[in-house]
Amino acid sequence: MNSRVVAAIAWKDIVDAVRNRYLLVALLTPLFVAILLRVMLPGINNLNNLTIVVHDPGNSRLVSELSTSPQIKLVEADSAEGVAREVENSKAVGGLAIPTNFDADVAAGKQPELAIYINNKKSSIEQAMLRQLLEQQVLSLVKQPAPARLIWTDAAKEASAQTPVGLNLNQMLLPLLLLLTFTMTGALVVPLLLVEEKEKRTLDFLLTSPASLTEVIAGKALTGVVYSLLITGVLLAINYKLIRNWPLTFLTVLLGLLFVVAIGLFMGSLFQNTMQVNTWASLVLFVLLTPSFPSLRLPAILEKGLRLIPTHYFVEALKLSLAGTASARIWGQLAVVLACTVVAFFAATWGLRRQQN
Amino acid sequence: MSAIEVAGLSRTFNTLRAVDNISFTVEAGEIFGFLGHNGAGKTTTIRMLTGQLRPTAGHARVAGCDVITEQRRLKPLIGVVSENQNLYERMSGRENLAFAARLYGTDNRRVDEALDQVGLLDRAKDNVRHYSNGMKQRLLIARALLHRPQIIFLDEPTSGLDPVVGRDIRRLVLELSRQGVTVFLTTHYMEEADQLCGRVAFISEGRIVALDTPDSLKVAHGQNCLEVRLSDGRSLTIPLDDQDAGEQLEKLVSSGQIRTLHSAEATLEEVFIQITGRRLSE
Repeated sequence: MNSRVVAAIAWKDIVDAVRNRYLLVALLTPLFVAILLRVMLPGINNLNNLTIVVHDPGNSRLVSELSTSPQIKLVEADSAEGVAREVENSKAVGGLAIPTNFDADVAAGKQPELAIYINNKKSSIEQAMLRQLLEQQVLSLVKQPAPARLIWTDAAKEASAQTPVGLNLNQMLLPLLLLLTFTMTGALVVPLLLVEEKEKRTLDFLLTSPASLTEVIAGKALTGVVYSLLITGVLLAINYKLIRNWPLTFLTVLLGLLFVVAIGLFMGSLFQNTMQVNTWASLVLFVLLTPSFPSLRLPAILEKGLRLIPTHYFVEALKLSLAGTASARIWGQLAVVLACTVVAFFAATWGLRRQQN
Repeated sequence: MSAIEVAGLSRTFNTLRAVDNISFTVEAGEIFGFLGHNGAGKTTTIRMLTGQLRPTAGHARVAGCDVITEQRRLKPLIGVVSENQNLYERMSGRENLAFAARLYGTDNRRVDEALDQVGLLDRAKDNVRHYSNGMKQRLLIARALLHRPQIIFLDEPTSGLDPVVGRDIRRLVLELSRQGVTVFLTTHYMEEADQLCGRVAFISEGRIVALDTPDSLKVAHGQNCLEVRLSDGRSLTIPLDDQDAGEQLEKLVSSGQIRTLHSAEATLEEVFIQITGRRLSE
């Protein structure tokens, strides 16, 4: 492969895409959505009433602060052990078992443990809202980075089955925003770049120049990757506080965007004109984005169906990497994304070659 | 060594045999006309010779390179002007050529030279979408010449252009030939082919049905005659190969009725119709 030719094609497209208003809007949409969500998020937090079970023998300031909030309903439990049980009984979103000396220990900078029980039967967006709310409330107790260690526990599970993954609402939305970026760039802009070359017959020129079909595809892929990385960089910079494992998050993001770009190339190889791309891209975008919707609580059969969508594995891997969890599970999920990427790249090359001949 | 050598080249699309077992050679520096009606197989042949399309059978060498197995070596040696004006319209003329220069690894100084060669230097900064058809066609030729190819393929280069631009392009083609560039030309315009081409091939339904110099084709297939206009306003055509042509002419001269007398040789168009049974524009 001739890197000069690939770079020439990519540079031409990078400059050209900015001049194309339609592509420019597609590229900037994820940024607009990200900004919009940041503006809207406080509002989202105020939307629902949250029932929280508390056991607070020491009359903590945390509980009195929570009780002043109109959207929070507090239910008292008679013991720390009874919190999990009461969470299920009262259909609360979660519960707190606050140690007796919690306020004093926080004030002394001892970082006391705060056991929080999560009700997994509630929607993930409600769970995320609880996480976000409690993190904010605890941080507001004193001006220090980590006043207490929050221990999150699934109320319905045994202690040994506790999951280390806990994401607040912002962390839940970040996969959606990143995937939106990848799909708008990879599954919309990239196929349009390729299809426009076909439609305007400039692909014929490229193929009589020293560029091979593989180099044309690589050039388009590079354009998609560059734009995705630029916008992803901005999104990650805006949300840098949410990322607990940068290398793993970066690796996951890179594999995810490569996969979606490969899907875009495959679409570009199948379609002949921009109208076809515009018609089908919305469907493809929806399917690829579905696993990243944070409030989904689907029937078991649909949950299984989601696993057929490769971006499900990207979203799961991203959640783990955002939470800073480098478990064996994440490598399995990344391997699935990588395998799907390779298949999509080969499919795109095959599709274009078949059309050319 | 010939610039282009084609032997038994064929291309089938499903059941349609677009090009059917054609063979010919084109010598270096020659302007070779490839003439046929729409759908005769001209563009398919060019696409095979320029490595864009794989032949179903046969083989071809262009600039000494096999068109199937040596494409990487072949591409820098050829330039192609497609019948579609396939330019990047959101880019300027200069940017179009600069992009081509990067693909070919050509010195960027060649960009302005090529623009100057086709008379577009003063419009180099303008977006191509604001160019006229003639300007676009000239830019396409500049792009094809940018890397100084040995062979240039021109697919209908003057189609739809005004006569002045057409004449400029024909001049450019002749100049290229004088510089030793081999030109493979398809055109609808028989006069253009007659004027430019050293040899022409007629292709019909995928097959080459005639190949020779325009003069030889006209002599072999055309009918030369005399056109006589008489003083009473009547016109007569006397075929020169008629046995009694001399006698007829002698009678007219002695009668003193001749106002004008012209020789009229067959046109390439007439030869084409005679050989293929259809007009080129069909």
